[in-house]
Amino acid sequence: MKNWIEAFSVIDYISAGILLTAVSINSFRRIEPCVKAYTLNSWLLSALTAASAFMTGEAHLYAASVVTFFSKGVLIPLFLRKIVKQIKATHDVEPYISNALSLAISSVLVIVVYASLKQGIFVTGLSENVLQISIAVMLIGLFIMITRKKAVIQVIGLLFMENGLFLSGFALTFGMPLIIELGVLFDMLMGIIILGIFLIQIRKSFASSDLDKLTILKG
Amino acid sequence: MPLITAFICYMLRSARLIGYVSLAGTVALASAALPVIISAVSNPIGMMGSMFYMDALSGYIMALVIFLSLASAAYSIEYLEHEMKVGLTGIPGIRRYYALLHLFIFTMLLVTAANNLALMWIAIEATTIVSALLIGLGFSKRSLAIEAAWKYIILCTVGIIFALLGIFITYYATISVMGGEGALNWTTLRAIAPKLNPSTMKLAFIFILLGYGTKAGLAPVHNWLPDAHSEAPSPISALLSGILLNTAFYGIMRFISIVDPSTGSVFTGNLLILFGLISMGISSVFILVQVNYKRLLAYSSIEHMGIIALGMGIGGTAGVYGALLHIMNHALSKPLMFFVSGKIQANYGSTKIENVNGVLSSMPLLGTLTFIGVLSLTGTPPFNIFLSEFTVLKATVDKGLWVVAGLFLLFVALVFYGMLSGFGKMLFGGRETTEVAEKEKGENSHTISVAQTSLSSVLNNGIMILLASLIIVFGLTIPGFIDSTIRQCIDIMGAK
Repeated sequence: MKNWIEAFSVIDYISAGILLTAVSINSFRRIEPCVKAYTLNSWLLSALTAASAFMTGEAHLYAASVVTFFSKGVLIPLFLRKIVKQIKATHDVEPYISNALSLAISSVLVIVVYASLKQGIFVTGLSENVLQISIAVMLIGLFIMITRKKAVIQVIGLLFMENGLFLSGFALTFGMPLIIELGVLFDMLMGIIILGIFLIQIRKSFASSDLDKLTILKG
Repeated sequence: MPLITAFICYMLRSARLIGYVSLAGTVALASAALPVIISAVSNPIGMMGSMFYMDALSGYIMALVIFLSLASAAYSIEYLEHEMKVGLTGIPGIRRYYALLHLFIFTMLLVTAANNLALMWIAIEATTIVSALLIGLGFSKRSLAIEAAWKYIILCTVGIIFALLGIFITYYATISVMGGEGALNWTTLRAIAPKLNPSTMKLAFIFILLGYGTKAGLAPVHNWLPDAHSEAPSPISALLSGILLNTAFYGIMRFISIVDPSTGSVFTGNLLILFGLISMGISSVFILVQVNYKRLLAYSSIEHMGIIALGMGIGGTAGVYGALLHIMNHALSKPLMFFVSGKIQANYGSTKIENVNGVLSSMPLLGTLTFIGVLSLTGTPPFNIFLSEFTVLKATVDKGLWVVAGLFLLFVALVFYGMLSGFGKMLFGGRETTEVAEKEKGENSHTISVAQTSLSSVLNNGIMILLASLIIVFGLTIPGFIDSTIRQCIDIMGAK
């Protein structure tokens, strides 16, 4: 099976899938598909970890893969879906710029990353593409955070950034020691839950989940 | 220890009792930690394998964390009693507040004791999460506080994600030095630091500075800070400003001590000087136009973080000494100011400078304390901040960086004018206008009698007087044990 993974360059395909799911966020008009795209993204991340665990035969990567699957692939999406249901406002994304333009800008981001990382850090990973893709996913996540009005989408952008971060850590170092990874995951999980609580609070006290309303504090 | 206290506070149901239990918890913590810190200063200790490690630098910061926790636990009692009286919070709110307060203290202690880069990252992220809850949900549910907490947690999490990327890059650099297993422990990293690839470490440092800099409130990424500080309950503002910023900066300092041997100190120094000057510049402009005194204090925090970054950046024994001394002085003066501003807010029911007048004549003790705090913050001699600012300035001039020194003086002068004109009006203005303003506000003004003589208010005033007297004492002389601790820290930092 090792030969099979190498021959079909499975790892490249999976990381391309991760990039595609991130880019696809730009084109959705409603919130639900964004949550689905994130779920798919996390599953792919988990699959990628599993595949490389198989290639290198490192036990802790298997564990990381399983933990990723359950926390990011199951727990966080379920939580997000619950929050989206609770916020009964329109489920439109309402970007500040048109979808076509934001797609174009994200592709420019990908090109910039590829151009600037062509000769940069020398990568230890299995595939040459993983590091570039991970940085691109982080940038796209950040881009989504700054161009969307809805608070939920900001959280999803943050989650994409975090997936990209995990991918990059993985590309650079074959993953951190397991205890560290668990700690980071736990922190992130808590952060997302607390953001969810705040989301509901915002909804209650501003009667809207638009971040347009959150502009009182300035200067 | 704070974990236990947090648990106990959550279980208790009597509002009065919780406050004193939390105070007792911090006292117990302080007495347990003091011998450990003292022994750590002279020779470093490690615990639990290599997970935790303490030397003079972490002991120094940890002592400040504990001291301020003590102060703010003592201050919280009366503050919360007042909030209860005016109906901003109830028993559940108070229980949550104290539980979170002790969790917050625990996470900050974890930051200073962690030996592992990534463990420290986890602890810093945990401080963000817990303190965001303290700001937003701590007790009074106000929409502005939620806005501030949202901004705070989003900005800091994004920033800190970049810091984790920096840590990954460091880990990558160590793998190529050590083969197979990389390392993330300070102790190991310090030993192999000169062998690390300089360009990789430069990249890592940029990410770390950006990430922890967001948390430390350095200027281009400071936007969360004024909101969070002005909307949080006063004892929490004091902790945030006095010590949370410093723990984030402690992360940067630890990192400098590994990056410098690899890249040379010019690179890190120039970046820090740049960020420090930008911080001072931006904050001095905002201080000049500020109308809200709690935000004014928040911008002043940014200015002081700028000075600390500048001192670190200039380096050399004098620069680092100034920066470390400034950390302590700022951690004494700023909480005092937030404590008094909390009382002013309670008395006048407003955080607008224009609504507050004649504090000095209506509340002599509070007014005097405010006056001392303001003079200290603006760096007026006989007070402590003057000494550390002067040390940083001297380091700048010694290195011959005249432009930097000129800008430093300009910004400090602007801040001096801005702070004094704001607080001067609050302190000395006529009383009549105050009464008119209070009548206008009608039932919104929660005037309480100042002459309370309950135990909580004695504690409250006592802690403020203690801070003020420390400010004056440290302005006149630096005690020997602090001096030697700071010199130990400089050795650890490896400053030349």
